[in-house]
Amino acid sequence: MTRPIIILIIVLALGAVFYGYNTYNKPHTNVGKSEAAETLLATEIFVAFDTNEQAAMAIYSDKVIQVEGQLLSKDLSNEKEPQILLKGNGDEGFVRCGFKPTELSKVLALTDSSTVKIKGVCMGCNGSEELDLLGSKDVVLSNCIIIK
Amino acid sequence: MNKTSILFAAIITFGLMAFTNHSGGIYKTNTGNINFFSHTPVEDITADNHKVKTAFDAETGKLQFSVLIKDFEFPKALMQEHFNENYMESTKYPKSTFTGTIDKMSAVNLAKDGTYKSSITGKLTMKDVTKEVSTMATFVVKGGIVNAKASFTVNPVDYHIAIPKTVAAKISNEIKINVDADYTHSH
Repeated sequence: MTRPIIILIIVLALGAVFYGYNTYNKPHTNVGKSEAAETLLATEIFVAFDTNEQAAMAIYSDKVIQVEGQLLSKDLSNEKEPQILLKGNGDEGFVRCGFKPTELSKVLALTDSSTVKIKGVCMGCNGSEELDLLGSKDVVLSNCIIIK
Repeated sequence: MNKTSILFAAIITFGLMAFTNHSGGIYKTNTGNINFFSHTPVEDITADNHKVKTAFDAETGKLQFSVLIKDFEFPKALMQEHFNENYMESTKYPKSTFTGTIDKMSAVNLAKDGTYKSSITGKLTMKDVTKEVSTMATFVVKGGIVNAKASFTVNPVDYHIAIPKTVAAKISNEIKINVDADYTHSH
């Protein structure tokens, strides 16, 4: 085997190892650095899921979505993931946005009833009519950041 | 009946009503935790979800859970991708639900701080497959918050979760599910 071929095989092998390592350790979606695939009102994304969940999953799930809506409340009951609720459809549904604990100070600075812009990864819609004890349905965004 | 007797009766009545309202009714949370853990000699895999919707009826012991599959976060993005796309098909089957009963609801005194135990039985649905599940749960009542913890195992095969032979050695056939939720009285 000639020297150039050996070098080529070594380079290809190193490339394969490098590619495999990077693929195995690829980072989670960086919401802050990602362009929003869709920008819409919180009420609009809730209606989309409430009307046709399967169709909404195909459009929005796993994508970075920017929503604007009225902040109804902060839910800080789970210290592992501070959350806020945006108005979805009265008492029947909300858009629930989860943040990394490092974002807590920014979440605390939000004012109830104000209009906020949030960017996060859409996970789907939790709850259903059949589960009567659970009450409202929530469209869920995770790894959120506050735009405004 | 004199004025003092009427006043005394009113205090007792309102006191009992307050007690009943606090210990009965629906307890719920939208921020429950579910962790799952798979251990094999090759690899440990764990993932967490912190937005679990769950509620129970303090009168009947009826218990419900709803969890979004895509909202399980893995330490590695690639694991999360394989979990959602290859195994759970989470765009097609976005939720897992549990409907069941706290079997000894009457033994859990929600009006008194303390630690209580009860078995839980019910039906767990994943990927449109429903199986009976039962386990023991511990309820810690403290200051109006009811913390419930429970663990059980599931076999992926039971829920038609196909694991390719190439990665079978990395995924246990006994996945441990850990549930930890702080319930508050729903007004």
